[in-house]
Amino acid sequence: MPSPRANTSIRVRLTIWYGGGLALIMLLFATALYVVMARALEDQVDRSLEEAAVAASRSLEEHRFGPFLLLDDLAQAFPELALIDKFFQIFGPQGQVTLQSANIKTRNIPLSQTALQSSLQGQAVFETVRFHDEIPIRLLSYPVRHGQALVNILRVGTSLQPEKEMLARLVFVLLIGSPLAVVVSVLGGWFLAGRALRPVDDITLTAQRIAGGDLTQRIETTSKDEIGRLANTFNNMIGRLEASIRQIRQFSADASHELRTPLTITKGETELALRKPRSAEVYREALESNLEEIDRMSRIVEELMFLSRTDLGEVHVASDPVQLDTLVQEIHMQAMVLGKEQRISTTLGQVEPLRVSGDEWRLRELILNLVDNAVKYSLPRGTVELELTQYRGMARVTIRDHGIGMTPEEQRLIFDRFYRTDAARAHAQKGTGLGLSICKWIAEAHHGTIEVVSTFGQGSCFTITLPLLPAAAAS
Amino acid sequence: MRILIVEDEPKVASFIRRALEEESYAVDVCSDGIQGRDLASEVDYDLIILDLMLPGLPGIDALKAIRDAKVATPILILTARSKVDQRVKGLDAGADDYLTKPFAIEELLARTRALLRRASGDSTGLLQVDDLILNPTNHEVTRGGQRIDLTSKEYALLEYMMRNSGRVLTRPMIAEHVWDLDFDTFTNVIDVYISYLRNKIDRGYDRGLIHTVRGSGYTLKLTDA
Repeated sequence: MPSPRANTSIRVRLTIWYGGGLALIMLLFATALYVVMARALEDQVDRSLEEAAVAASRSLEEHRFGPFLLLDDLAQAFPELALIDKFFQIFGPQGQVTLQSANIKTRNIPLSQTALQSSLQGQAVFETVRFHDEIPIRLLSYPVRHGQALVNILRVGTSLQPEKEMLARLVFVLLIGSPLAVVVSVLGGWFLAGRALRPVDDITLTAQRIAGGDLTQRIETTSKDEIGRLANTFNNMIGRLEASIRQIRQFSADASHELRTPLTITKGETELALRKPRSAEVYREALESNLEEIDRMSRIVEELMFLSRTDLGEVHVASDPVQLDTLVQEIHMQAMVLGKEQRISTTLGQVEPLRVSGDEWRLRELILNLVDNAVKYSLPRGTVELELTQYRGMARVTIRDHGIGMTPEEQRLIFDRFYRTDAARAHAQKGTGLGLSICKWIAEAHHGTIEVVSTFGQGSCFTITLPLLPAAAAS
Repeated sequence: MRILIVEDEPKVASFIRRALEEESYAVDVCSDGIQGRDLASEVDYDLIILDLMLPGLPGIDALKAIRDAKVATPILILTARSKVDQRVKGLDAGADDYLTKPFAIEELLARTRALLRRASGDSTGLLQVDDLILNPTNHEVTRGGQRIDLTSKEYALLEYMMRNSGRVLTRPMIAEHVWDLDFDTFTNVIDVYISYLRNKIDRGYDRGLIHTVRGSGYTLKLTDA
């Protein structure tokens, strides 16, 4: 059973986390805001009460108002009393009301015991009182002393309605605003997550098409972000996959195409021989022909496998010091034998003592292959010239023949796999069309080059260039 | 019946030639497209077997050139590719049939017979003039139910004459369809073979089928007289 988590898309999970986190933050923020706001409002009220009380008390002391005061005089003395939001009460030292502002007439707000006690000790005290279901009132009881004696208790009060209303409005705004902000943000988050993840969906779709067998598909991407890098990595991987599959396809196509001719011959010869009883000589010829074709098929398969392994980078070339001059001299001896039947002589030109780093066996194969070709395509009694010289810090082996030569078209294609010139097909039944491809690979595996210059009807010249072994390593 | 093989792989051409010769066909071989195209227009072949992978001139172009030259000879194409489009291209360019390599030799021979039969306008496969019957499949020749044994060349000559019964066949025509390019036209080999055939076909029968047309050549037909 997959966990529910595995079934939920990243988009949904991102949005849930995002929305949940945001809601929590909004809640904490709203609470903190409310608390801080309430406290600040209360402080503000208290401060204004205190200011009013201090001013009133100073005036009382200055005017030495006795216990009997006219309200009008008081109003004159304290313009603050005209403000509707505050009321005054002046109590006698025993807590009896001696005077109070007009805006409190309908109410009887007695002095509490706590306030009286505090006043007797000379301390001002704040209180919040609520009469029945009415708006709470903030009260400040402030002792007015003359010397050590308590003369009056001055009480300033104000309704907390504006503050309550403000807080209510804040709560209202927070209650409506926060969920709305969360909803809008979640929608935005859902949209952004979708947008951010869309390339992932593209990758998925492309991968599905590739899984369906279409390896030419690529993810379109121009961005350099994480998704872009993922897409690029993915594209590179598919590219390599496509290349290796193309190689395998090419290999099987080449193999089946090249094996078809020897198979046709083997099948045809065999069926023809079996049509009716024949002499031993005829059977012998058929078998010989078949053997030749079987050898050819083995060689094709072997060489193809070799080239296929080089494509996959599985063939390693040794890097031993190789004395090229000795190698060239040995090959020269072999070439004399190769050309014996057609009376083709191979002449050895300049041979400088040169050393290269590489695989002696492969280098021998390379040069011998070219010399063998030169002998094969020479005219009877022709000559092949073999030479080893130093040229621009490189070892240069040249193999020149004066045989049939090649057209420019043929020279261009000669190193391609399975390419065989018309002459090669007519001339050498044993050829596979892979020899020069292998030569090219050997030269390049030794960091060298192979080139051909040829004139149709006049002969060809193959040049192998190989980097010399550094003098220090040669010693 | 004379057949041209245009095939660049010498060993493939070789076994096809030997198989066809064993069936008493006269066979010429050439190995490139240009030569094949030229021979097809110069010599009146009864069938051309054409490989599509040819040096010089690609098989498909050779095929088009042959058809452009108004040569109606049946053409069987050989293709190394099993791809459909190659065969479709070949057939559309004027080929009558195809074989993909590798093929069975018996299939090649059967298709050869079928193409020759179609060209001579009969569909049963048996060639018949009066009571003389020739079966190209097994090379059996009978007259009045009586089996007649023929050498390969005699058979080839008779098959050609029966496929063209009623027509006057000149010595050059006979030479062209029964013998291959190596044939020396300045000999009386044809007359010799005609007399061999007469001995085997007409001797002992009231109605002679092989007739000499004075000054022209020979014809094989049932005369009214």
